[in-house]
Order: sequence, then C-alpha cells, then structure tokens
Amino acid sequence: MADSSLRQRRQPLDTKENAQQPAFSRNDIKKITQLQKQHELNEKNGHTILFLAITALSTFVSFFKIWYPAEVVFDEVHFGKFLGYYLRRTYFFDVHPPLGKLLLAAVGYLIGYDGHYEFNDIGESYEANHVPYVALRTFPAALNVLSVSLVYSIMKQSGYAKSICFLTAALVCFDNALVAQNRLIMLDSVMIFFILITVYSYIRFRKLRYQEFSTSWWLWLFATGAGLGCTLSIKMVGLFVVTAIGISVLVDLWALLDIQRGLTMNHFTRHFYARAVALIVVPAMIYLTCFYIHFAILIESGPGDSFMSSQFKDTLKNSATRMKALDIHYYDNITLSHRDTDVYLHSHSLVYPLRYEDGRISSNGKQVVGIEEPDINSWWQVLPATENEKADDDWASRTIRHDDVIRLKHIGTDWILLTHDVASPILSTNEEFTTVAPGERFNETLFKVVLEDPNNMNTWQTGMTAFKLFHMDTKVALWTHEQHLPEWGLGLQDVNGNKNLNERSNFWVAQEIQGKNATEINLSVKQTVKTMPFLRKYLELQGRIFSHNAGLTKPHPYQSAPISWPVMLRGISYWSKDETREQIYMTGNVVGWYLGLASVAIYSGVFLADLISRHRGIEPIDGPVRQRFVNNGGFFFMLYLLHYLPFFVMGRVLFLHHYLPAAVCSYMLLGAVLQFMFVDGITSPISNLQRNASAKIHRHTSVLDPMTAAPDRTSKIMLAIVLSCQVAMFLFLAPMTYGSPSMTVDQVLQHKIFSGWDLQFAK
Amino acid sequence: MNGDMLIVLTLALVSLPIRFYHFQDPPEVVFDEVHFGKFAGEYINGTFYFDVHPPLAKMLTALVAQVFSYNGDFDFGTIGNSYLGSSVPYAEMRAVCVLLGVLLVPASFVTLRTGGHSAPAALFAALLVLFENSLSTNSRFILLDAYLLLFTAWTLLSWAMFLKHRNTPFTLEWWWWLSATGFGLGCAVSCKWVGLFTIATIGCSTLYHVWGLWGDLRVSKISFFKHFVARIICLIGLPIAIYVFCFYVHLELLSLTGSGDSYISPHFQHSLVGRDIIETPSDVVYGSIVSIRHLGTNGGYLHSHASNYPEGSKQQQVTLYPYEDENNLWRILKANSSNESEEVQHDILGSDNKTWLQYVRSGEMIKLEHLITRPRKLHSHNEKPPLSDEESYKEVSAYGFPDFDGDANDFWVVKTIGEALESRIQALQSQFQLIHTLQTCALYSGNKKLPDWGFGQQEVACIQNGKIPKTLWMIEQVAHDLLPLEKTRMTSYPRYSFWQKFKELHGLMWRANNDLKESHPYQSRPSEWLMLVHGISYWERDGRHIYLLGNPIIYWTVTVTVFIYMILSFFFKLRQQRGVAERFQPDLLQFYKRAAGFYAMAWAFHYLPFYLMGRQLFLHHYLPALYCGILLVGVSVDLVLQKFKWKLSQWIFVFTLTAIAICAFFNFAPLSYGLPWNRESCIRSQWLPYWDFGCERFSTIGHFANPNPKHAEL
Repeated sequence: MADSSLRQRRQPLDTKENAQQPAFSRNDIKKITQLQKQHELNEKNGHTILFLAITALSTFVSFFKIWYPAEVVFDEVHFGKFLGYYLRRTYFFDVHPPLGKLLLAAVGYLIGYDGHYEFNDIGESYEANHVPYVALRTFPAALNVLSVSLVYSIMKQSGYAKSICFLTAALVCFDNALVAQNRLIMLDSVMIFFILITVYSYIRFRKLRYQEFSTSWWLWLFATGAGLGCTLSIKMVGLFVVTAIGISVLVDLWALLDIQRGLTMNHFTRHFYARAVALIVVPAMIYLTCFYIHFAILIESGPGDSFMSSQFKDTLKNSATRMKALDIHYYDNITLSHRDTDVYLHSHSLVYPLRYEDGRISSNGKQVVGIEEPDINSWWQVLPATENEKADDDWASRTIRHDDVIRLKHIGTDWILLTHDVASPILSTNEEFTTVAPGERFNETLFKVVLEDPNNMNTWQTGMTAFKLFHMDTKVALWTHEQHLPEWGLGLQDVNGNKNLNERSNFWVAQEIQGKNATEINLSVKQTVKTMPFLRKYLELQGRIFSHNAGLTKPHPYQSAPISWPVMLRGISYWSKDETREQIYMTGNVVGWYLGLASVAIYSGVFLADLISRHRGIEPIDGPVRQRFVNNGGFFFMLYLLHYLPFFVMGRVLFLHHYLPAAVCSYMLLGAVLQFMFVDGITSPISNLQRNASAKIHRHTSVLDPMTAAPDRTSKIMLAIVLSCQVAMFLFLAPMTYGSPSMTVDQVLQHKIFSGWDLQFAK
Repeated sequence: MNGDMLIVLTLALVSLPIRFYHFQDPPEVVFDEVHFGKFAGEYINGTFYFDVHPPLAKMLTALVAQVFSYNGDFDFGTIGNSYLGSSVPYAEMRAVCVLLGVLLVPASFVTLRTGGHSAPAALFAALLVLFENSLSTNSRFILLDAYLLLFTAWTLLSWAMFLKHRNTPFTLEWWWWLSATGFGLGCAVSCKWVGLFTIATIGCSTLYHVWGLWGDLRVSKISFFKHFVARIICLIGLPIAIYVFCFYVHLELLSLTGSGDSYISPHFQHSLVGRDIIETPSDVVYGSIVSIRHLGTNGGYLHSHASNYPEGSKQQQVTLYPYEDENNLWRILKANSSNESEEVQHDILGSDNKTWLQYVRSGEMIKLEHLITRPRKLHSHNEKPPLSDEESYKEVSAYGFPDFDGDANDFWVVKTIGEALESRIQALQSQFQLIHTLQTCALYSGNKKLPDWGFGQQEVACIQNGKIPKTLWMIEQVAHDLLPLEKTRMTSYPRYSFWQKFKELHGLMWRANNDLKESHPYQSRPSEWLMLVHGISYWERDGRHIYLLGNPIIYWTVTVTVFIYMILSFFFKLRQQRGVAERFQPDLLQFYKRAAGFYAMAWAFHYLPFYLMGRQLFLHHYLPALYCGILLVGVSVDLVLQKFKWKLSQWIFVFTLTAIAICAFFNFAPLSYGLPWNRESCIRSQWLPYWDFGCERFSTIGHFANPNPKHAEL
C-alpha cells in the first residue's frame, strides 16, 4: 500500500468553516464555464459525426431484411392478435398495460390495416393472409435505432470521452438479442426506448441543478415524469425504472435537506412538490389516460369478457353472458357450476363408504360430487325455506335476492341437499355434503344465497351473478377443489363445506333453468349497454392484471431462471422453417453480455475497495474521477441491479427476453467502467455551474477541479479490440438473429457455443 | 448485581408453577407431536427417517425419551391418540420443553440488564415473555420451537455479554462470550433453518462493529486482522462445525433402513444397514439379464407387466416400480443383430469356452427385451403418454409378439454421461441415457404417478430436449449364463461417505421445504401475524380445546413499538439533517439508538424473510421475531422510564402495564392450557372475528356434558 500515487486524506470540504464561504469564487466559476463552452465547441463536430454514424449503422442493422421471415414469429402471436383486437374494437385481456399495444395498433390504423388476421400460430404466412407486417415491424425497429442513438446521447451527456460514447452505442447496436427482439412486433423495443428516454431526461435534469426552477429545469423534470409514465404503461417492468429514479430523487432531496446546504424549509418544500407533481402525478395521469383510451376503443364484447365481472361485461356490446342471464324463481330447476374448476354440482344414489381407508367414518349418506359434463343428475330445484314441501304459487312468482335462504332439492333422487359436522372424504378439516329425504333435519338443509356483487345486481340470475352458498347451521360454504374421489365415487370431484367463508374459490354460477332458453327470451327483449365509471373499470382490470400475472406459473418449454440469463446458458427458439432449415434463435452477444457481467463485478470490486480504503483514511482515486465513477457509474449500476434482481423473487414464468432492459443498462455501465480503466481522467465538470437567482444559496458540492479526459493511443486500441470482438461475434451469430441464411448441420453445431443452446436442425 | 440475582431467582420460581401447570394434560398426542414424537422413536430404534428440519432438537428430544426409558414402539398416528399404557415418557419429554420455556424468562431479563438497561424495564420484558400465551402453549408440547427459542435467546444473551466486554478484547471473558454466541448460533441453526435469521442478525451487528474498528486508526492492521479472524472462527467456523457435527451424529444414530428410504437415492439406501447387499458382476455383455434403475427420481426400476395402457397406443405398460421384482428384468440385445454380416467382437470367452461374448459399450444401439412378457421390447413411438401431455413427451411401451422381430422403434442408443464414447458400460457405475433414435428423445421419468390402471406406479416416457438428470439410468444387477465369473470383477454399491449423504440430504430438505405448498386450514401469511389474525388448533376433545393464540395485548404492543421505532428513528434522522439541537444527551440518544436498532433489526430479520417464502406458514413461525420484539419493547420502556424521576413511580408504571398483559393472559389461559371453558367467556374473548377457536364447542354455564345429537347419530 506504499504506492506514492495514493494520497492521504485531504481536508474534508464539508466542515463547518468551509460552509460559510463558497469554496470557489464567482470568477473561478466563470472561468470554468468558459472552459466548458470552449470544450463543447471543440467536441461538437466530432460528436455530430459519430452520432450520425452510429445512427446510420444501427438503421442498417435493425432494418436489414426486415421483411424476412414473412411469417408469424414467437410472441407476434400475442401482440399481433392484440393489435387486431384494437383495430376491431373487440374487448381482450392481457397482463400488460395498454400503451405499447396501443402504439402498435396506432401504426396499424395509420397504414390502414383492418385487423382481420388472428395471428394463430408461429410460422403462419403473412403474405397469404395479407397482413402489412413490414410496416408494422418498422415501428419497433425504428425505436430500436432511436434507442441506440439515445445510448450515445446518454453517454455524451454523462461526460464520457467520444470514443467511449461511440463504443457503448455500438455495443448496443451490435447486440444480437436486441436486434432479434426489437425488429419484431413486440413490446420490448418500445419499452427499452422509453426507459432510455427517462434516463436521458433525468440526467439532463440533474445537470441543471444549479439553475433550479428555470424553464429547461422544469422541461427536463416533466420529460422524466412523462418517460416514467409511458414506460409504466407498457409493462409493469416499468416499475423498476420508477424505483431507480425514485431512489435517486430521494437521495437528491435528502442532500437538499442538509442544513449545511442552507436551504430554507420553504425552499425545500418547493423542490419537493415540483418532484412530486412531475414524477408521481404526471406518470399516474399518463398511466390512467392509457387505460381510458383502452376502454374507449374496446367497446365490443370479445375474448376478454371471461376475465371480467358481470357488471363489466354489461358495458360491452353483444355480451354473450348477458344473453344467458335469466332471473331464477323458486321451484325452478337449475344447474350449478363451480366458477374456478368448471364442474357441475351433482348427486346420485351411491353412498359414501361407511369407513374410509384411513379409518375415518362417514355419514354413509348419498354422495354429492362435482361432474364435468352436466347430466340428468345435475338438476336441482330451488325450494323456499319452508317446511311445506308442496309447490306454492305465491312463492313460485318470486325471484331470489341477495341473502335469501333457500333449500336445494336434487331432482334425480328427490332428496334435499344438506351438510353437517362430519369430516368430508378427502379433507378432514372440511364438512361432508350429502342429501336427506324430504322432511328430515330441516334446519340443516337451509342455505343462504350470497351474491358476489349485490350492490350492482341484487337478483340471483343464471350466467351473470356468481354466488356463494352458506350453510345456515354450521357456517360453511359449498366448495369444491380439483381432487377426485377414489373408485367408490366414480373418480368425480370432491365437494365439501369450506370453513373459510371468504375464499374466492367459493363462488358458483347457476348455468341453466330447465325448460327456458335464455338466448331466445333475451333476444325478444331489447338489450341496453350499461355504463360504468372509468375508475371502477380501471380498478377492476388492474386487479385482474395483478392476480393473472401472479398466476402465470404454468411451465413453458423455453422458460429460464434469472440466474442463467447473463451467462446465456440457454436461448429461445423464436422461429424455424423446416424446408429451408432457417431459424431465429434469440441469444445475446456472447462478448457483450459477458463483458457486461465483468463490468458489474469490476464496478463492485473497485467501489468496495475504495470504500474500505477511504474508511481507513486512504484515497486511492482522484476527486473528479471518483465523483463520476460513484455518481454516474453508480446510477447505471443501480439501474442494472433494479432491472435484474427483482426477477429473482418473481414467481411467474420468466424468459430470457426479460433480461433485455438490464442488458442495455449493463452496456452503459460497461462504458463507464471502460472509461475508468482505459482513459486517463474525465471531462469535468459537465453540469452547468452558472447559478440562477433562486439557487444562490446552493453550495457547490461537486469538486471543482476542472479536468479533461485524455484518451491516449493505448486506450483507443483497447476499445477498438472490444468493439471488433463484439462485431465479430454479432456477425457470427447473425444467421440465427436474422433467420437467414440457412445453416448446414456442421454450421449449426459450430454455432452452438454453449451446450444448453437447443438450436434446431442440429442433426 | 445481588438484586438482579434475586430477581432472576424469583422470576424462575414464579415461572415454574405458571408454565408447569397441567403440563401432563392431555395424555394424548397433540399437534406436531405426531411428527416429533415419532422421530424420537426413530432415533431409539435407529431407523432412518426423513424430515425437513435439521436434527439437533429432535435428537435432544430423543435423548430425553431415552433417559426416561422409552423403547420406541409407540405409533403416534394422529392427533388425539392416547399415551396411556404406552412406554412414551411424554410427561418428561414435555417437562423438558416447559423447562426450556421457563429459562427464556430469566434469559430475557439478563439480556436487557447486560445491555445496560434498568431493572424495571428488564423485569417488564421478562414478565411479558412469561405471560405470553403462544410462547407458553408452544413450549408445553414435544415440539422443536422450545429448543430453537432457547438457543436464539442464548445467542442474544451471549452477544449482549460480548458487546459489554468489547473494549477489553482477547481477554478470557471476551473469548468466552464470543464463542458462546457462536455456539448458540450453531445450535439454533441445527434445530431449524430459521436459525439462519439469527446468524444474519449477529452477522450484521458484527459487520457494524468491525467497520468501526477498521475506521479506528488506533487499531493497527495486525490487531484488526486478529479481531477479524477471531470473529470468523467463532461466528462462522464454530456454528458450521456444530451443524455438521449434528448431522454426523444424526446419521450415525440412524444406521438402519426405515421410513425415510423412499426419499433417498439407492446409493444412500445401500449405505444403511438392513438392505440386502447387492453383488453383481460389473461387466455387461450382450444377452445379459439386467435390472435398470432410474437415477433422477426414487421411483425405482424400469418395469413392465402384462397390462396395457387404456389410452394412447393401448400397448403394454412400462413404468417405474420401487421394489425388486421379476418384472424388472430385461435382456440386453444388440440392435442390428439381425444383420448377419456383423461380426461379434471377441471381447471375452464364455464359460463354455466356445462362445464369444461382447461388452455393451457407450454409443451402441441396443434393444431391451422384457424377460417375463418376452418377446416384447422397450418401444417408443409418436403417441402422447398418459400423463405428460406436452408435445415433447412420447409414450413408452413394451411391444412385440412371437414371430415378429420388432421394428426400429425398439432401438435405443446407450449414451454414458461423463465417460468417453465406446467405454464399457459397468453395472452400478455407469450413468447413461437411453436415446430413442427415431423420435430423438431420451427415456425419462418424472414424479408422476399413474392412476389405478397403472397400479399407482410412476410414469415412464420419452422426452425430447429434457433436462439430463431425469433421463439418467443405471444398471443395478447383471446376470448372464455364460459370463465367466472368475474373469470379471464383482461390484456392489459403493458406500456413501458422510459428505455425500450430507449433500444429498440438504438437497432433499431444500426441495421438501419448497414443496410444502398445499393449503392448510390453519396456515397464515406473515402479514397476519402482526395483528394476530389467526391461531392454530392443536388439540380438541369434549369441550376442551388447545388453541395456539398469542397474548393479543403483547402482540399488538410489539407491532406498535416496531412502527413507533421506525417513525422515531426517521424523525431523529430528519432533525439531525436539519441541524435541530436535541434535548437528549448525545450519548444517551446514541445508546438507545444502538440498543433499539439492534433489537428492531433482529425482529426484522426474524420476520421479513418469511414474506419471500412460498411454502405454508404458521403463527408459530413468528415466535422468534416476537421474542426479539419483546426485547425491543423492553428497551423502549426503559427509554420512557427516563422520564420518571422517582424510582417507585417507575416500578408502579411497569407493574400497571404488566397487569394488563397478565389479565389478557389469564383470559385466554383455557385455550393455552386446554382447560374447560364456558361459552359466555369464550364469546366475550372473541376479540377478532377471525379467531376460529369455535365457541360452540364449549357448553354454557351450568350445562356441562350436553351430548350433541348429531354426534350421537353417527
């Protein structure tokens, strides 16, 4: 540790005495600002040329053979379908918020596509179905080009050397995963674009911190908010960038609060509200607006109906469930189906075995079970809660309302439904359901009909109104679950009484009334479309999105664990064509992703080493360099972690393409680390130091040693090597990225860099 | 300190009758005694069992049982089985748990006193521990939590002692308490993996202090290094050693085969005493009769029998069968044997001295003929298997009939993993895949059981692009009439070393823990623990009910205190940032910040990680966090007591608070102790509507023994 370059701790700037007088005089700042201007002027042309060059390169890379394959590829199945639904104004359900799909649909609308095609299977031909797919793909591809340009601008605004800016953007440009993903009709390209817009705007905003409340300050602050709102409205993953900006803003605010900054509480409150409005209210408004447009467009009943409540379905035109709805009267014979498992309540003359295999004893009564296909034994008659068994005209005219007490008679056996404190056959904690002869044990045959949404619809109807059936005597709900009885129960589904009355799986739906054809009756009556306040519609849909997202746990052959993403153990086969032996196989650029991973490791190592040595009074890194490395590099580092780590705690099915935003962040971090490793010094300061009137009380906290980065020849050679490796790897993997040309078996095997890559046509 | 000794003794003496009251009652199996009682018997019998928890607490239970002459023959069966007339020393086993629960009371007192807090505050915390219903109920039965809690409390106590001596490093006391902490950590984590949370707590605290040492330039680098290494040895090395040692003893004790066999791999099984030792020639030649075992699951042997699939191809079933059976035998044939021109390689001369035998080598194409239903052969084709109905799965059957030589769908390529091509297949050693060439799929089995028509045996299918572990097979036994036994090597299962067993057990425990997913009527989510939303029914009979419910007053106090702590610490931070002068003495503020911060962190570490667990959780998982929370309450009360100038008023304040908790304790005592109760009190005690202890089971005052007509009917 006796390296002479290590300096002992300087006098810290933040001591009380220093706080009184500014560390630098007004003249110094003027001089620095002048230097800055000069520097910018010198650099300007170079930057323009490089920026245009990388944009042109990226355009070529993104649009190369965009018309190929002229077939449905991977998730175009979903997003193409959704786009069509928008154009046909048919209600659908998807776990993502609407903005991304709305933008795709807008493109479709502008080019005059009518949304007729269903995008049923991967590999179906677009040409045969007359889909203007090239135009549709142009939009994501164009955003991919803009993303590359944005990466360049972000690096430039962050004050990195020209060569680093170009290199970083080029690395992003030549990433196979981004190219493969972002030129197809999917959401990722749109989302990455808005993430980068947000990051760019926030960096611009931060650089204006000494001109607080100036016009451009407000502009970039609101741009950040708008970016957040748009990102969030595309996928819930947008929450990660919201968190990242949120943390940065909190750190920033905490520093402003510091008494040594000299801000009055009033002044601070203004800062606080400015950010709250721009970064919370604005995104929320954008998010809600997207849903508003979503509902405004989708007015026809469609495949999304089944996810929504009956009240919601009522707001759609031509709703099929609406057509099935009929009021239920006493003495009607109905079928009841369980909403979650789709089985019908059923009984027959078989009895529960007196003694189960595990030694428990049953009531030996008739079985009540769930059956998938309704039959003659699935009809139940609704009886009023009177001991009189005979039909009574007075009752027969009455409909059944929320909280009414009824009895159910099984038509096939003429016995009455009952439950009692006897353990059910499969779950000993739940109660057994059985039937008894009419007239017996009256009190135990009473059930209360509890409707799901009594405020909206107070009458028990078929089709529409889900209900729970509570047993009056023992307080259990009629319930079933996907477990089948053994042979004595013909393998039918176990039905029992659930003690937890509030479970969502307690809901049943009455399906049919014997002798009445609901559709015919309803067709004869004029149907009206109801309305529903926007906020309630939104809250309902948002709830369904959350629960559905959490429920996406069905395994998929190409799913992967987050741990395997950065090392690319496995890719995803997007598309393949047997005749020509071509395929699209999504993997990242092996060079870039591993370097990205290395940069994460190097960053953490350097950061920790610096932290530990500073704690011991040794400062190994120079002021401005360290400042940039910690603040800007740290921001990229945080962005990367926040776009990657949360996936580890997600229970849903995950895919390699969920890593793409994190991959872009890792490239920016890589740029920062490469500058730290290969370029001497850093261009600093880059923030605008000229203070405006209201910021007079602000103290400069950045270290004001003006400094210019000096990339030497070695650094340029190193950077060139990195870039050429990336390009070489990109070209090597290109046949799998663009889906052409076809490869022979040997070539396929050659391209199998990791044994886990399950490429097609490897034999 | 003499006053403290007196308080400790009094506390212990008061706790004994309160906690031991009716401890033998009921003389029946209560709640998880089903498991842990049974495990104690397994240790005494030496039979291997499998459980998700590490062994220390269970071994200690078994030790108690052993000392009180339990012979291990009781079948715990289900909750409610009677102990009377059996040799189970259930009273003694419970007594030990109760005693550990009693020790928790003085432990909390000493911990707070050691941390420098006042006697009234420490006594207050100790009384909260004593009058906490769930701590009491849970340490009355043969469960693991009493052991776990005591080790956790011991760790916190030792750590407080260690911190007290931190300014005199490397003295005897310093070393003693540092190793005592490590000992506590090791024991806690050897009882339940929840002990890892305690490790995290102590780890963070250690890092905090070590960071301070590193920044202190008076501490030389050498000295810092010594500090660092001492902590690594005591707080990491020692716990690991204890943990591993527990498993070593565990595996030494359970040397016989037993109920756990079906969970473990064949290698592990054959390391247990009581298995028939399999000895088999290691060389496999064509024409041998073999039994083939699946390595990815414990489903057993590749099996076929004379029943057909009811669906799909309707050909003969192929399954996995866990036990040895004639139907597990297959004959290995060379796939292109019909091709006359093919020369038999002269590998080894048969015992008749004229037939040449050929070894089976990796990469060769074979057929497997089922011995009993000959000439049916292992066969696969483009049909969906009965259970795995995804595109990449193909059905596997046994197919063939006399005068038909079979077709190319009977051909399988043997492909060993980790050995070169053309290496010889060795019984009990080579792990290989069987690749079906026409469907390019590998013979596979998952943990799916066929329905009744398949006799509940495990499904076998052929999978395309499957993960390798579940497509691995191994030949267990080989026989060939002509194989010259004197020229081949005999082999048997290699005995698993301790480390192999250790590793396998941990994989199994981890998976079993994550698989505990099915819903349980008394499970609860961590968010519900804070407000004590749900309890657990432990045992019930004839109008008596043991129901795990905390003392709501204490639960709610802990929750409120934690939130107040968070708000206050943010508040103080904010004042500091704005440069507002504090009226507190800085040292005092620092002292309370540190103490409260430590226990709040301990609470958070013992509580928050449960949110990440997908498995079923119960109220008793909250108990370690609750203990830390009570200590936090103690610290907070100590801070409040600073306001009382007069000593007596401090005591009055503390005892008033305690009285409220004690009232609540006695109110719920009938549920904690399983005493008779009446319906009126029960309904009055139904403070939250979610508590499902079921008041209807208790008779109203004056109407004892009201026979329920419903039950009479049954």
